[in-house]
Amino acid sequence: MEKIIVCIKGVPKPGSIKVDPETHTLKRESMELILNPNDRPALELSARLKETYDAEVIVISMGPPNVVPLLKYAYASGADQMILLSDRAFAGSDTLATSYVLAKAIKKLSPFSLVLMGLKSIDGETAQVPPETAALLGIPSLTNVKNILKEKNKWIVIRENEYGEEEVEVEAPLIVSVSPVAFDYIRPPSLKRLIEVKNKEPLIWTASDLNLDPQKLGLSGSPTQVVEVYERKIEMKGNILEGEPQELVEKLIEVLKEKTLIKH
Amino acid sequence: MFEKIKLENLPKENILTFGEFYKGKLHNSSLEILSPLKNIAKSLNKKLILVCLIDSFKNIKNLKEIKKSLADEVWFVINSELKDFKDDLYTEVLTQIIKSSQPYGFFFPATKIGMSLAPRIAGALKVGLCAHVNYLEVKDNQIVMSRPTYGENIIAKLVSKSSPVMATISLGVFNIKYGKEEPLMKEIIFPENFSWSSKLKIRNFIPSKKKPTKLSTAKIVVSGGRGLKNKETFQKLFELAEILGAEVGATRPVCYEGWVEEERMIGVSGVTVKPKVYIGFGISGALQHTVGMENSEFIVAINIDKEAPLVKMANLALIGDARKILELLLKRLKS
Repeated sequence: MEKIIVCIKGVPKPGSIKVDPETHTLKRESMELILNPNDRPALELSARLKETYDAEVIVISMGPPNVVPLLKYAYASGADQMILLSDRAFAGSDTLATSYVLAKAIKKLSPFSLVLMGLKSIDGETAQVPPETAALLGIPSLTNVKNILKEKNKWIVIRENEYGEEEVEVEAPLIVSVSPVAFDYIRPPSLKRLIEVKNKEPLIWTASDLNLDPQKLGLSGSPTQVVEVYERKIEMKGNILEGEPQELVEKLIEVLKEKTLIKH
Repeated sequence: MFEKIKLENLPKENILTFGEFYKGKLHNSSLEILSPLKNIAKSLNKKLILVCLIDSFKNIKNLKEIKKSLADEVWFVINSELKDFKDDLYTEVLTQIIKSSQPYGFFFPATKIGMSLAPRIAGALKVGLCAHVNYLEVKDNQIVMSRPTYGENIIAKLVSKSSPVMATISLGVFNIKYGKEEPLMKEIIFPENFSWSSKLKIRNFIPSKKKPTKLSTAKIVVSGGRGLKNKETFQKLFELAEILGAEVGATRPVCYEGWVEEERMIGVSGVTVKPKVYIGFGISGALQHTVGMENSEFIVAINIDKEAPLVKMANLALIGDARKILELLLKRLKS
């Protein structure tokens, strides 16, 4: 049986963001977390592969305990097992430190044939974790993946770049990041499984469960460091007009004429 | 031909950049990122080197551009296995170059290929990597990189404690500039026993059917945000664009809502535009978006909220319901 691992991330609900004034990192504990929207296509792909091939799906997430509902959501969408990677020592990790934790957890789940992740999170937006994790594990990675098929003992992966789509043949195991636009339809969680998961709790792995080197974790284990944050000050430059929509449209037409965008 | 140099003899401590090729053509973004890095290299007293992985020197289509570029040197690695982008092989080749030449920094354009390659190299070397940098400076003899952060109007300045300093640089932020002197061209000779094999086999390639949007070079941009309320109203921007000869842009939330495809996203992880006229309908102006359009020559903001950042930034702000104004404007222009 194939073992497919899906990594998901809790991201702050837009509008609920708080930045730690000292470390300049996001304060994840106090925020309302939602499932990173870009992880949905990764979950959907895992469900489709499970339907087609004999596969077990394990969903893992690194984060504070408030990501547990998101793991349960993934279970209700078709995952078989949930694992939470959680430790205070993980807070403030950059992409390298995050990839280190994920790589160790994925390794502990060996043998596996495929790891799926969303292309990027909507908070950090780096898209770096999938290839970085693969590099740490010494396995191939492919990004912007639109579909995966199996042919004998090989995976056939369709990936997209600026120039078009490539069909890539590769042996397991590998890590892919799934394109946000891979699927037109993403299944909702099943009601039966939503009820079933109420009484289930994810397995929790901490830094010591994974034998992690404390020096490679969190802020101190992150080679990229924020040295300063500043607010972009906006200069008022123009004129602000209020009034009836009709008047405003006339003003806009005037400007468009002035800029020779329209003639009449 | 040009000078051949053995991998183990590469000069050290320079600033390297990745030259992305597709079918023999260097991608414009690889020329763009030379502009800010030239200044960085100068102030650190280092050479700027463009590193190109290609299958054959004869097949290069824009060699003239490369010869005019700001790079002090161009290093080529030439091998038939480098014809297609193979994540693992490209990583191995560049990792070897980094180990031998111990560069001060290595920078990539934030293209899909750059975003696949740079993190693999950072992971392989266990060094830091900053994403979507849109401003670089030297402070206390150290490269400081800026990028906007999530959701708020806050810019973060980052440094990397590890070496080389690595980052991907946002697309379309910097203009291509040309140098006065032709860069020195060198071919790097890899050792006989280097393995050019890859675990990836590219079996087929289907060129993109979609015409790429002309958003990044558009002279006029009409852009919409959540203030347009729904997909149907947003789609009316295409009618307006048709009349004005404009391109349609969008904010991130609108793309995530599926009102329009992500290629039209303006901002940090999308496109940077510099039109003569930018008109924003129902866009409040989160930094995520405004970094991608703030250099527009003339900005019009149409928004219900007088305090919205885009309203403050605009040369002309119209306070009102963007939906209504868009509809009235279309009616007026069609009559």
